[in-house]
Amino acid sequence: MNTSYTLSKTTGLVLTLLIIIGIVAVITGFVTDPARTWPNILLNNVYFLTISMGAMMFYSLQYITGSSWSAMFQRIPLALGSFIPIAAILMLVIYFGLQDIYEWAQPGITETDKLIAHKAPFLNTPFFMIRMVIYFALWIIPFLMLRSLAIKEDLEANIAFYQRSSFVSKVFIFIAVLFFSMAAIDWIMTIDAHWYSTLFGFRAMVTSVYYAVATIILLLFFLKSKGYFPQLNEAHRHDLARYLFRFSIVFGYLWFMQFLILWYANIPELTVYYQPRFLGEWKYLFYAELFMNFAIPFVVMMADDIGKKKPVLIGISSLLIVGLWISLLVQIMPGSYGVLQFGFIEVGMWLGYAGMFMLITLFALSKMNMVPQNHPQLEDSVHHHL
Amino acid sequence: MSTKTIIGVFEDESILLKTLRTLKSNGVNIKDIYGPCADHDLLKEFTRESRLPYVSVLTGLFTILATFAFIYYVSVIDYPLQYGGKPVFSFPPMVVILFLVCILVTGGVSTFAFLGREQMYPGKNPELIDPRAADDRFFLVLDQNFNPEEIKGWLKESGANEIIEKDNDE
Repeated sequence: MNTSYTLSKTTGLVLTLLIIIGIVAVITGFVTDPARTWPNILLNNVYFLTISMGAMMFYSLQYITGSSWSAMFQRIPLALGSFIPIAAILMLVIYFGLQDIYEWAQPGITETDKLIAHKAPFLNTPFFMIRMVIYFALWIIPFLMLRSLAIKEDLEANIAFYQRSSFVSKVFIFIAVLFFSMAAIDWIMTIDAHWYSTLFGFRAMVTSVYYAVATIILLLFFLKSKGYFPQLNEAHRHDLARYLFRFSIVFGYLWFMQFLILWYANIPELTVYYQPRFLGEWKYLFYAELFMNFAIPFVVMMADDIGKKKPVLIGISSLLIVGLWISLLVQIMPGSYGVLQFGFIEVGMWLGYAGMFMLITLFALSKMNMVPQNHPQLEDSVHHHL
Repeated sequence: MSTKTIIGVFEDESILLKTLRTLKSNGVNIKDIYGPCADHDLLKEFTRESRLPYVSVLTGLFTILATFAFIYYVSVIDYPLQYGGKPVFSFPPMVVILFLVCILVTGGVSTFAFLGREQMYPGKNPELIDPRAADDRFFLVLDQNFNPEEIKGWLKESGANEIIEKDNDE
């Protein structure tokens, strides 16, 4: 039980191979079509940052609500959060490709476009980068605090660490809710600078927990297959399945709320966002997003007995991993690159990022105990039953 | 052949659960359990198939189809009115209406189906197996038993606080 993860050679090799594929894809992309590569870099940054932030929000939620069922495997979301500092570096690289992604960043656009000129005090390159630095600083500090508290707790049995983690979690969730919404608005919504949705940031923030839970499930079963977490039982699977089911409803609700109001209000400057997506060449991906993230998980997870089966959980989680990619593709690409492209660059870059993300997560897991040693609710979690 | 209803009275649900497992493994016919609170383990051990979910699903499907037909008739066939430049038949705005009507009707029908099946109505006197079932005791009701003495032995052995016998002919 008091073991930490050791990276096996085959896993390390596979992940390194994925990273090499990713590097090749990035180089190919920059040689052939930089305008297509930059939005893809943004997409993958946001994709994995979404999972990281969602995992940390999940981790904080467990402390805030005093949940005991997840105490056993709460090091998984903590390890997933390790990507946040890396994402900071990768996001700062976006600086060099701002003109390829954002319409408002193109030089001289303020003279021809009145609306962007009006928004210029907020949407300008220096302020954009300053905000980015502030967001990451505000996320990384509480993350590092939570991580060091978790490691200290393993060495010394003291309830104070739990209480302090609980407090830092409250601070973190406040920061995450506020600033991850703003980050989503900054990085994704401003691609379509003429359009706005007041729901956008909230939706990105809430659904991040959805995808984080899917990733946690996949990682949990991966580690279980390696012999960790022998106490993982039906009740844990039940709770994870309920998480997915409820968030599928939340996703469907927010997705439809944004779509219906904007589509039916019939205000041209708002409807223009859905014009290419709902009627244009993005049509099939638009429906695929809805089905993969809402309809299929909702129907499959509805029955309790089906939802908590291991193959079903793994299947739905894998579906959501693809669903998030399609969701972000539909959000980012029409406004930046403009044409639907799917090829080696897209797939290779995602694979590369996934390899890097997994390597960082597993490395972080190998640096601490897999199961918290002195967590006050550990016994409750190990013997969790309904 | 005279059969008897045997009722075991328990103070502790964990003992009841243990007894339930023993009786089930011996193939005793368990009729019902009455008690002041729900217990997940008891529910898992003793579940009776309910047909109420089928009623709900069928009502839901029927309601969605009927509402869709109604909206379609009203807005496309009977009174096709163009507003906001949208096509006469446009699905997105229907979703909310279908969803809400479906919930309302299904909820209502399910409730009344349940009340009807259980023959309940507001102001009906409660049919308690024993007044203590609403207080702090659990009642395990065993019906149609052909070996009452043996069952009573099992009940006593596993720690029932009290055993009540009733003749079915009464």
